Amino acid sequence: MKHGMKNRYEFFELSKIRRRLVLVVILSIFVALFSRAFYVQVIKKDYYQFEGFKSSNKKIDLPAYRGKIYDRQGKVLAASAPVNSITVYLPVLNEERAKKGKNKKILKVKLLKLAKLLKMNFSDLDKKLKRKKRGEIVLKRQLDPKTASKVMALNIKGITSKKTYKRYYPNDIFSAHAVGLATADGVGKEGIEKFMNTKLAGKGGSKKVIWDSKERTVGGLGEVVVPVDGKDIHLTIDSRLQEKMYGSLKKAVDKHEAKSGSAILIDSRTGEVIAMSNFPSYDPNNLTKNQTKFVKNKALIDVYEPGSTLKPISISLALEKNLINERMKFDTKDGKRRIGGRTITDHHPHGVMTVAQIVQKSSNVGTTMIFDNVKPSDLWGIYHNFGFGSKTGIEFPGERKGVHKSYESWKEIDFYTRTYGYGINGSLAQIVRAYTPFANEGELMPLTMIKSDEPVIGKKVLSKMTSNRMLKILEGVISPDGTAHQAIIPGYRVAGKTGTARGYDGGYDGTHMASFVGIAPASNPKFIMAVMIHAPTKGGIYGGVMAAPVFKEVVTEALKLYSIPQDGLTSPHNGNIANKVL
Amino acid sequence: MKLNLILFCTLIIFSLAKVNAHHQYRQSYLLLEQEKKLTVELKDEKTKLQIEESSKSGNARIKQVSKKQLGMKLPNKFQKRVISR
Repeated sequence: MKHGMKNRYEFFELSKIRRRLVLVVILSIFVALFSRAFYVQVIKKDYYQFEGFKSSNKKIDLPAYRGKIYDRQGKVLAASAPVNSITVYLPVLNEERAKKGKNKKILKVKLLKLAKLLKMNFSDLDKKLKRKKRGEIVLKRQLDPKTASKVMALNIKGITSKKTYKRYYPNDIFSAHAVGLATADGVGKEGIEKFMNTKLAGKGGSKKVIWDSKERTVGGLGEVVVPVDGKDIHLTIDSRLQEKMYGSLKKAVDKHEAKSGSAILIDSRTGEVIAMSNFPSYDPNNLTKNQTKFVKNKALIDVYEPGSTLKPISISLALEKNLINERMKFDTKDGKRRIGGRTITDHHPHGVMTVAQIVQKSSNVGTTMIFDNVKPSDLWGIYHNFGFGSKTGIEFPGERKGVHKSYESWKEIDFYTRTYGYGINGSLAQIVRAYTPFANEGELMPLTMIKSDEPVIGKKVLSKMTSNRMLKILEGVISPDGTAHQAIIPGYRVAGKTGTARGYDGGYDGTHMASFVGIAPASNPKFIMAVMIHAPTKGGIYGGVMAAPVFKEVVTEALKLYSIPQDGLTSPHNGNIANKVL
Repeated sequence: MKLNLILFCTLIIFSLAKVNAHHQYRQSYLLLEQEKKLTVELKDEKTKLQIEESSKSGNARIKQVSKKQLGMKLPNKFQKRVISR
């Protein structure tokens, strides 16, 4: 080694200043790192732990599915199906829109396509997107999933699609009053949807999960609240007859230019409501403002004076007490009778009539004569036993019990007017139920809309003999000589009673309520149907003309659908009818 | 020294096994979630089909289709024959 040459160590050796400088730099780096570590792990520990947890852990809501509503044939009447809400996160989208060049043009084309898919004007969409509001806005609710996936395929930054559920009613307007209505949030608002809301709704749950960078769930954190789905409900309603009933009511209301119409068809043996409809109705899938006044189920909520449809009940009392028999005669003279300073009249004078004819011709005067030896408490009692003044127990919100005042407050005229159905009021449901004893050997059946396998227990309100005798009398009403020959169903024996009462709205309002209650087949009752046409203005006011044809149309279809054997053969050529033959 | 080496190797193996098990768990959980999602989708699809079936099997529609598409009509009274018992 030459003298003066630096060896290897000497060559790499730094000057003292440099050494110190390097040391300071390294130390500074360590201090900086240590400070940052101290800041993150000690000072901002909670914040970073929270943020980290938030980005990798998420609480997911687990929705409870609202139960479906089925008819008695297993057809869906109400069900929740998925729809999507399209939302936009404005800061992200606006950032994209602010970009210039080719991307801006592409985005505009995409937004045009978006407007088309959402069925919006581009200018309206543009206005929405230019709002000053920060954050997320909903562009469209309840969009069908197919369109929503097309929207997402546009791949516009900031646009997201959220799955929600919408309640669908496939039977539309036909079963609206029977099934009811639920809000967009899945809360029952009307009808069965409201009454059975707790059972239908179920209970939502949630769970905490771990997300990966692709926002996929890769693990659970154990905190799970299991959702409980709502229970399905099977109704006693037959959607086929709902359609028929609605159509028949509409036809009658339109033909007679009436205000409205209601009808209920029940199974006479079980009290199951097979069809219940009102016209006008509403579309539960798309309820408009104009339709909100038709949401009320008049068949259950509105009460009215039944009029002559109550005569079979009151006269049953006299039959039960052996005060009269079917052949006993009463002289109604000129069809007028003066009681307590008021005159009771018949629509037509009939002179001398048997009890059966009094019912057949619906004589008010004759009915009052039957009751000359009956105590008011007994009359009050039979109406009470037949369910007037109390609810039917049907599973429906808002049902009214009507007015059935105590006999102690009655004057003489009040007693007599009640014998033919005035001074007392009830809903159509109460009236149809009050006819169940005539079809069930004297047993009053409870009404129900929920299908059940439990045996139905009725309440004995009349003897078997009296109910059968009254049923036979009621067959006479559905004959060419009776008030309801328009309810004759070829091939079947039918029993029933018409009613024409004055409309009441705080006072008698000058309108009429034309009604009819029928039982078919009278030989072995299966169906009872009550029809009420409110305020007809064309073609008459009588129940036999207004309401009986609705009964005939619906019950003919019901007898056919349920394969009820005929009572007697009919010929389409000579028009023989069972009521005439048997 | 030898024992330490064995223990160290065992530790490494078990550590890797734990990481693998965790990975397997995540993969399985991911699959489970996908299956659950599919179940929900199928359930929704079933509901949609039920709704469609219900709305398309109404009497009014059947009558309309039978009249318009199939050309069916009700017999008049002269086309009916009464079969006596």
